[in-house]
Amino acid sequence: MTEFSKDYTIDELMTVLMAREVQNDDVMIVGVATPMVWAAFTLAKLTHAPDAIYHYIMGNTYVIEPRQVSLLYLEMNTARAYRFQNSVECTLESLPSEKLTTIEFFRPAQVDQFGNTNNVCIGDWKSPKIRLPGAAGILDFSMFYKRGSFLYTPRHDSRTFVSTERLFFISGAGFPEGKPSICGGSGPQCVVTNLAYLDFDGKSKRMRLASIHPGVDIDTVKESTGFDLIIPNDLKETKPPTIKEIDLLRERVDPLKIRKLEVLSGNEREELLDGIIQKELATQNKFPKLLFS
Amino acid sequence: MTLDDAISTYVQDGDLVGFGGLSFWRKPIEACREIIRQDKKDLSLCTFVGGIEIDMLVAAGCASKVRASFVGMEIFGMAPNYRKAVESRSIKISEESEASIALGLRASYLKVPFMPLKGIIGTDMPKVRNDIKQFKDPLGSDTELMALPKIDLDVAILHVPYADEYGNGNIAGAVWMDDDMAKTAKKTIIITEKLVETEDIRYLPGKAQLPMQTTTAVVKIPYGAHPTSCYNHYTFDALHIQEYLKMNFNEYKKKYITGKNSAQYLEEAGGVQTILNILL
Repeated sequence: MTEFSKDYTIDELMTVLMAREVQNDDVMIVGVATPMVWAAFTLAKLTHAPDAIYHYIMGNTYVIEPRQVSLLYLEMNTARAYRFQNSVECTLESLPSEKLTTIEFFRPAQVDQFGNTNNVCIGDWKSPKIRLPGAAGILDFSMFYKRGSFLYTPRHDSRTFVSTERLFFISGAGFPEGKPSICGGSGPQCVVTNLAYLDFDGKSKRMRLASIHPGVDIDTVKESTGFDLIIPNDLKETKPPTIKEIDLLRERVDPLKIRKLEVLSGNEREELLDGIIQKELATQNKFPKLLFS
Repeated sequence: MTLDDAISTYVQDGDLVGFGGLSFWRKPIEACREIIRQDKKDLSLCTFVGGIEIDMLVAAGCASKVRASFVGMEIFGMAPNYRKAVESRSIKISEESEASIALGLRASYLKVPFMPLKGIIGTDMPKVRNDIKQFKDPLGSDTELMALPKIDLDVAILHVPYADEYGNGNIAGAVWMDDDMAKTAKKTIIITEKLVETEDIRYLPGKAQLPMQTTTAVVKIPYGAHPTSCYNHYTFDALHIQEYLKMNFNEYKKKYITGKNSAQYLEEAGGVQTILNILL
């Protein structure tokens, strides 16, 4: 009998939901500045996906061993690779082949009802109100993944979830105009947010509310989404984290709560960040702790 | 050769300059500080994934154009001066993806005008790049492809942990675009943490990923990547990056760049305590 946790935070729930997407034979792609994704993949590796391997973008390396999430020393982890990639292969070798299934989570600044995403600019591209950092590999890969692409955002609001007309730039292809990409990928599979778990209707390719997190009411989700969601008649509640998942996450995978930096903002975030830096600077052994399942 | 000589001899106003490394990792920052001290102008900056090096050069007014798939400060937030410059249209950018940089460099050293990519289709990138083009496989498979133009660098500036005096460079961690940049740039400057003998390069894993025949100059500057990292010597300096983000760039420049050599810079940036903080 699975025991569900009654005491968890939103970053923990999101991390657990992302971990549950991983399959045992996946190559798990960890991007730049996405500790929540790293935590989710490591949690999956310690639970249901022990054979999954990491592909760290910051090292462009393939790594087998799971290690504790680290902020200052992730390069130490990626350097412990069995394979380095450089030049073209570091961007293109992770494209889906017959042999590999890859899983990558993208965090969009904006997403529309067809899962098209924007990480480039807010406002017109030529004179943007906000220039975002850029979409890096999302432009290259979003239309290819055999298992599709996976989205997450801890900011489920009507500024993030916008209709296609209000999406300022498509930097990640979802289902353009509601159709699968001509490049052959499976398209976006889900969006994990702080309010709900969303997926896409098989026929119309529109975003659907698949399950709503415990304690969140449906009107909040509707008001926080800038387009009409498909809402099934038999709307389910999201299955909460198990006690085992929460214990692993807190005690072994990410005890410094680095994943939480993705959720917090303002002073609270600054304080957490300062604390993490001080704790990591104080360690003797700079290799992120090796975890055994 | 000194860094001063290398930058004044090989970097000219208006050049397209490639920077190695990725994000906060193994960036040639002392070379960027020297470019700022020499007040170079109108540079086009090209890097795979950019961070503080792009932000500093833009803030100092050395750059008129940026080509990078991402410019940000990772978990510390956005690159403030880069962002301001793009929003006020004081610099031009070329919207790039990882593949458009990687394949552009490869096209350049293969001496072909473009490389084909099966990607980008369905995004808005073609709308803002009139130099890329979708086309159908000329060999008849009906596959839709993107043609990505070559990127001809004038200079590549790369930071490595080990090099010999002939210009054989060894990188202890990930290589990223450094070797392609070295191959295609008209001139390649290597900044190294340690100067070793050729015999030592032979026994380092990967040997000379940057071979002497593509290197123009080698300069030894310990901690020359600070505040970014140089695996396997030191990690990035989070405290310094936080300070950078809190300061106005002109104050930062006065305190850390103007009139400072690399030893004076390190002293100003916290000296021994900072070195002990970042050492692996």
